[in-house]
Amino acid sequence: MTPVTAEELRETIARQFGRSLHIRTLDTGSCAVCEQEIRLLTAPHYDLHRLGFFFTPAPRHADLLLVTGPMIRAFEVAARKTYDAMPGPKVVVATGACALGGVYPADPFTHGTVDAVLPVDVWIPGCPPSPLALLHGLGVAVGKLAEKVRDLPFTAPDDSERTRGDS
Amino acid sequence: MTLWFVRGLRRGVVTTRYPARPDPSAASLPTPPAFRPGQLTAGVADRLVAVCPGGALRRDDRVLVYDVGACAACGRCATEAPHAVTSSGEFELAATARSVLIKRIPLRGEAP
Amino acid sequence: MTPTHLPVPPSLPRTVPGEVTTFQVASPDLEAVVRDLGGLRLADMFAAGSDGDATTLRLVWANDTAGQAGYVITETSIENGEYPALSEIAPAAFVEECEIYEQFGIRPASGKPLNRIMLPPHADLPTLGHKPQPEPEEARAPHIVGGQAFEFPFGPVRQVGVESLYYGLVTSGEEVVDLYLFTWHKHRGLEWRLRGKTPEQALFLAERTEGLSAVAVGWALAAAAEAATGTRPPETAQRTRAVALELERLYNHAAAMAALCQATGLAVGQSAAEITLERLLRLNARVFGHRYLFGVIAAGGASRAPDADAITSELPNAYGEFKRTADALLGTNSFVDRLEATGILTEAQARSLGLVGPVARAAGLTADARQVPGAPYGTGVTVATGAAGDVLARFSVMLAEAAESVRLIGEFLREGTAAGVTEVPRTAGTGLGWAESPRGEALAWVALDDDGRITRARLRPASARNWRGFDDACRSQNVFTDIPIIEASFWLTAAGMAR
Repeated sequence: MTPVTAEELRETIARQFGRSLHIRTLDTGSCAVCEQEIRLLTAPHYDLHRLGFFFTPAPRHADLLLVTGPMIRAFEVAARKTYDAMPGPKVVVATGACALGGVYPADPFTHGTVDAVLPVDVWIPGCPPSPLALLHGLGVAVGKLAEKVRDLPFTAPDDSERTRGDS
Repeated sequence: MTLWFVRGLRRGVVTTRYPARPDPSAASLPTPPAFRPGQLTAGVADRLVAVCPGGALRRDDRVLVYDVGACAACGRCATEAPHAVTSSGEFELAATARSVLIKRIPLRGEAP
Repeated sequence: MTPTHLPVPPSLPRTVPGEVTTFQVASPDLEAVVRDLGGLRLADMFAAGSDGDATTLRLVWANDTAGQAGYVITETSIENGEYPALSEIAPAAFVEECEIYEQFGIRPASGKPLNRIMLPPHADLPTLGHKPQPEPEEARAPHIVGGQAFEFPFGPVRQVGVESLYYGLVTSGEEVVDLYLFTWHKHRGLEWRLRGKTPEQALFLAERTEGLSAVAVGWALAAAAEAATGTRPPETAQRTRAVALELERLYNHAAAMAALCQATGLAVGQSAAEITLERLLRLNARVFGHRYLFGVIAAGGASRAPDADAITSELPNAYGEFKRTADALLGTNSFVDRLEATGILTEAQARSLGLVGPVARAAGLTADARQVPGAPYGTGVTVATGAAGDVLARFSVMLAEAAESVRLIGEFLREGTAAGVTEVPRTAGTGLGWAESPRGEALAWVALDDDGRITRARLRPASARNWRGFDDACRSQNVFTDIPIIEASFWLTAAGMAR
């Protein structure tokens, strides 16, 4: 793939993937719950297809790799092969606390985070990320939805009804 | 097969309008915590760091470093210090850069 | 619990209903004891390291007879790296023999080759005890047909939205001659990670062993720690746990129903089942704050009370949808035809492999951990069984269990539920815990040190037991396209086996 600037890549992605996107999933060692939420994306309540997104079993047809699990070292070869089999341009989305470095630290069994092995473009937190959170993440990945978390401080003012805490 | 078709028609459409419109079911989803800096003494911060099982919290001198990405929204920090931790109510957390998910929250008395 | 020293058969007593009795058995007597206990189900076998070179081998036996259900644990100290070959007598022990060899380096005296089961090859990973010398064998399928067989590796990256799992499929064409599974690419080393944690800290990872059985595995671990320290959770908290467990059973059975429809290509049924599943998951979020019920089990009790009003107002709707979908499916001949006589497991096969859950009950066994007398289930659970042992029987058992779950939830709410814990003291001890997960009995055993920290935790989700039956169910008279159907009817996880 010829090197492009980040801006050009974003534009390419929004143009090519914004209307029709094929997704391949990859389980690098999850507890199976992230997979259940991902399966529900094509269920009637969420209906991924109405957004022009589809699942495909063939990495050759896939535009986006949706990765769960903490990248167990024994799985690394299979993960790389799946990524390499996808033609560019491609997007990698790491989903779930395990894939983002939580739950399992790096140790002899696992890398602890997907971006230790694959170049991740979008990170979706959650344990598990609900189908709504996944839809938001996929929308952000193709440039259709705005990223919100950048401007969220995760702070709150004091709750005046509670007594002041201990030290 | 007619049975399925008729039942489907009778049930109607259940599909969410999200992302075009908000989905009411989001209100009962677990969400990552939000911290009250006014209640975060060093002692409280250290207790939160100790109780977090997923490695999402650590203290860097006068700052509580909170990794939203590593957070499993398990609620142990909120149970440990309910006056200092509340629910953020946010579930749209996708980020295009990993650093965007690392929040630095000043402890009590520090400038934000 | 102090082990009782008792002479070896014929005076070895049976199980005490509702209790766990532990016996020390000397290594030379182990074979005779295993024969004598053969009427019981071998629920688990694991080892624990001790000071010096001795390893303690523990066998957990279950009595599944209604009204008498309880557990026996035999403890044997293995000094010279070898113990009697048990899988000759109890085929249910073979997978555990391999696992123990990989983790502790001790082996059965028969000298039979032991396969690699849990740990990936070419990796120098920490083990719970001494590393095995020599290395375990790579699994090879034993069967061929007419001198011909083609071995077809499949996975670990499989179809979209399913866990990574490797099948070695041996076929002579379309028929399945053999099927063996590897889950070691998902091995997270959970039992290794739990060492040094308190039970409360360990629950976070235990729930995530097999997230689809978060309540069951968490409950089993919490109950093991409670047994080790003599802690009794409050009765209201016990009933809260049971409500969560039954909700877990309901959504898993709905998910299995959806998977069956997908495997048989019935898209309308799959959509209807997914609607039910989504309703149940949203109900879980409203009732307990998490779609998959993470965080409900606490060491010594339950951390959240259920929203009883949400259950009363929404469960009838959600379950009504489930029942209507199930009835419609059973009335769809093209669907039922795919399920009937597919993936048959006979009672003898299920018994000899020590299978649990709907898979075992559909073959005629009665094992159900909820029958063990004691709070909160008492003796009031109607256990569903079948006889044919095929996919249709497993599906029917799941449907009957779902109805029973709804009834039980109503009863527990009437009797009263609340959050609350009895503080688990920081003392030494060992204990066994259990819970009936949607896929079968989940067991956990802990050894705690004087600080109340785990020195050895054994996690045995039902998947760790039941995958060994998948091979037998897929073999003979089944074709490739039956494999997803059989897999959906087992409804196991790779994560629960790999740990």
